[in-house]
Amino acid sequence: MKEYLLPQDEFRVVFVIGKGGVGKTTTAASLAVALAEAGYKTLIVSLDPAHNLGDVLMEKLSDEPKEIMENLYASELDMEGMIKEYLEHLEKNLKNMYKYLTVINLEKYFEVLRYSPGIEEYATLEAIREILSEGNNWDVIVFDTPPTGLTLRVLALPRISLIWADKLIEIRRKILERRRAIAKIQGEQKFVVEGEEIKLPTEEEEDGVMRELKAYRGEIEFVYKTITNPKKTSVVAVMNPEMLPLYETKRAYESLRKFKIPFNLVVMNKVIKLEHEVPEIKVKIKAQKKVMEEVRKEFEGVDIVEVPMFQEEPRGIEWLKRVGGMIVGSS
Amino acid sequence: MEPIKNFLRGFFGYFKQSSTEYIEFELRELENVFALILMASFIGIPSPPTTLVLRLMPHMVKEIKVMQQRAVDLDDVFAEVAGMFDID
Repeated sequence: MKEYLLPQDEFRVVFVIGKGGVGKTTTAASLAVALAEAGYKTLIVSLDPAHNLGDVLMEKLSDEPKEIMENLYASELDMEGMIKEYLEHLEKNLKNMYKYLTVINLEKYFEVLRYSPGIEEYATLEAIREILSEGNNWDVIVFDTPPTGLTLRVLALPRISLIWADKLIEIRRKILERRRAIAKIQGEQKFVVEGEEIKLPTEEEEDGVMRELKAYRGEIEFVYKTITNPKKTSVVAVMNPEMLPLYETKRAYESLRKFKIPFNLVVMNKVIKLEHEVPEIKVKIKAQKKVMEEVRKEFEGVDIVEVPMFQEEPRGIEWLKRVGGMIVGSS
Repeated sequence: MEPIKNFLRGFFGYFKQSSTEYIEFELRELENVFALILMASFIGIPSPPTTLVLRLMPHMVKEIKVMQQRAVDLDDVFAEVAGMFDID
């Protein structure tokens, strides 16, 4: 079995990425089934808003992990519901805080927040973080991801968020330092706003903003450290033997390398293998061969596994076991 | 004796006050920048992670109240800056 798919340090996280329609979900599910069969307690999570993990496993899934077979649990995250829940929670929180702002119709504003750019990526990252923080419950966690574009942006987020958090902490520290300096010379500073006396925090421990910044930084750093640790995380790219998926996989490979996320395996899915020559698809077979050669050249040091095109769609546990065996290399 | 004492207190008080004038100005500007970054998306500046901003905002209420009051009290920004740099 391939080492980068097995737990080494606490648990193993496998992200299955790829262009839409290449067979990500099937690959992810097969992988999970094969690992579960080998005795690893495996969780497979679908982050794709267009859920079809349930269709592949032929089970109805929800947010809560559901036992599919021995050692195998599956769940589908309801992104839309999560975003809604998240915003409702925030709205309640903010309303309490800004009582004097209730004249402005906050509800209307939050209605729009749901459609603000980036909110889906942040919600996805939040979901990944939550699952990783309980990672010790599992040996292997397999993420079935949305198509490449969104996934790459989500995987890039932790590093970007860390930069933001660091910068904001820096400014906040400067603010608190200056407040302390002034308080030392002038005594405690008090401000009166509409008859209410306000004291602003000067110490890092008593400043809610600083505490929240540090907590956030800690959470993001945990995700960042997990997904950049080759002992914990592997990315598996799924593609078809065609030029467009190859280009996309190449781009994904490069961006992941930039973000230092380990990329270990290319699954070449739906490879047409014929026992007899069929003249009608001769050109297609030739093009496929060319892509295969290209892939071997482009992804040096990355494992490449071929999964043939089957006569029927691989659905259900028996099929997944068979495909999974091909991917993990046990059969 | 009392008037002299008062005078001295006022005299040294002035020095004490002016000694932190620049730091106070810097602090105000830093506070403005911090708040501005958090609410940057309102004015079209690329902003920090939405999650982070939404988590920080509730803790910023007091500070924003003080800043609002400051804006109400402030009547001549240029005079303040000119005063700081001793421009008469």
